Amino acid sequence: MRYLMLVLSTPDAPAEPGDVPRIEDWVRDTYDTGRAVLGDRLRPPADAVGVQVRAGEVIVTDGPFSETKEVVAGFDVLDAPDLDEAIRIAAAHPMAYTGALELRPFWPLGLDDGVPTEA
Amino acid sequence: MTDVGQAVSAAFRDEWPRVLAAVARSTGDLDLAEDCAQEAFAVALRTWERDGVPDRPGAWLTTTARNRALDRLRRRAVEAQKTATAARLAYRAGGVPGAEAGAAEPDPVGDTAVRTLDHAGWAAVGPEEPDGDLLRLVFTCCHPALPLEGRVALTLRSLTGMTTAQVARAFLVPETTMAQRLTRTKRKIHATGISFRVPPAELLHERVSAVLAVLYVLFTQGYDGWSEPADDAGGTAARRALGDDAVRAARLVARLLPDEPEATGLLALLLLQYSRREARLDLDGVPVVLDEQDRSLWREDEIAEGLAVLDDALANHRPGPYQVQAAIAALHARAATADDTDWAEITALYDVLLDMTRSPVVALNRAVAVGRLRGSEAGLIVLDEVAAAPELATYHLLPAVRADLLLRAGRPEEAAAEYRRALAQVDREGDRKLLRRRLAELSASLPAEL
Repeated sequence: MRYLMLVLSTPDAPAEPGDVPRIEDWVRDTYDTGRAVLGDRLRPPADAVGVQVRAGEVIVTDGPFSETKEVVAGFDVLDAPDLDEAIRIAAAHPMAYTGALELRPFWPLGLDDGVPTEA
Repeated sequence: MTDVGQAVSAAFRDEWPRVLAAVARSTGDLDLAEDCAQEAFAVALRTWERDGVPDRPGAWLTTTARNRALDRLRRRAVEAQKTATAARLAYRAGGVPGAEAGAAEPDPVGDTAVRTLDHAGWAAVGPEEPDGDLLRLVFTCCHPALPLEGRVALTLRSLTGMTTAQVARAFLVPETTMAQRLTRTKRKIHATGISFRVPPAELLHERVSAVLAVLYVLFTQGYDGWSEPADDAGGTAARRALGDDAVRAARLVARLLPDEPEATGLLALLLLQYSRREARLDLDGVPVVLDEQDRSLWREDEIAEGLAVLDDALANHRPGPYQVQAAIAALHARAATADDTDWAEITALYDVLLDMTRSPVVALNRAVAVGRLRGSEAGLIVLDEVAAAPELATYHLLPAVRADLLLRAGRPEEAAAEYRRALAQVDREGDRKLLRRRLAELSASLPAEL
């Protein structure tokens, strides 16, 4: 199953988070085993660009749509056999100690299904 | 009831969770397993009459339920094949793929069926492994990713085979509400990819705590029914019976997790608390606090078992909150009268428990113990330190405990004010009756101008 793992920075970071794992180790362990397929850090909310179409017009706005205390600082797409494995991977991420991780299971649209590849 | 009817009922009581768990392991689909287990019991009613009760009813039921599941999955797979073929044909004919009816369902049933048929569980179905299956069932139902109410209801239903209507009755909610709660919970199991398995080692410790927490919520729901007046047209009986179910479930989980002293500790705690159930209401339907309970109504056999189970748990020298709470309950159980209670030891145990849990409710109970040990004024000082906790802001037991301490300290006017405050916050009928009575007794003894 695929999960989008949102890496969130939260305002209430613990003062003494304890032994935080190194991100390099996490990336190696997760990507080398094929448990993650794509991921990166994201520019801060100030660099966010909103796009909407209203009454046929493209409306571009500055900044994020939702003003939340948590900021999406990065993401990874996990490919895990089940939720517990995804939780295990998330719990090993350094941001689990100082921020928060949110796992969102994919809800496949199945747009590729049933379409024959031959002409 | 006929002999066969009785045999099926007995098998249902004894074997339901094992049958369900075995099929759920094979299919990885709790919903399907539930349906097929139910069908197996229905089939048993018909065929045992004709062929006689099998030597091993549990094995018979498991095989029957499993075969039903396999049949259904094969049918679903065939259906899925047909749908896929139809979609391809429609595409070739120039239609839009997936535009036909039912295609809006993003996880077509066939996909699930094919996946489930491939499920490793079918291959693993060989030697009977009922305990492992039960453990998987419990961990799945109690997964912390599920909403708590759903976990509690699903665990109850899975372990007892109670119908949705029965579960609804026990939790005092309409049947439609409970049906929705169960459906949503099972849907989330599927949607989030919760597997029917024992969690990985890294997560096991927390997951055991999660299971025990669900059992304790279940127990509390039942046990609280014993301090509520039994006048709501039978609902109370259904609710009180949850206490039995919770004790049975705790017994099972303690057996399944022999290396987890907290599981044994929880069983001890439940046994010791539950032993007092008959003493929790007086003849007028007013709750009786522990100090004033008629101790001859406490179940001696259950206390004896609870104490023995607690000793087993403590022998591991790995204490935890449930063991400490059980140890406190044991001290109450051992005291011949309320005055004989070892408040020094109880206070010390509350210190330990508070350290472990940092729970304001524990802190409140500790204030009561300090009040007994070192006097009511000392108890009030401790209570003042607790009172600021936001979790207790609307908790009626905070002013109620303060009122009791004030009364014992010889400050009846202030006590009366606190009882009134508690009455304004209380949301349980039983406690309301008790507070009213306390206030009435107090008012009668106070000078008229108050």
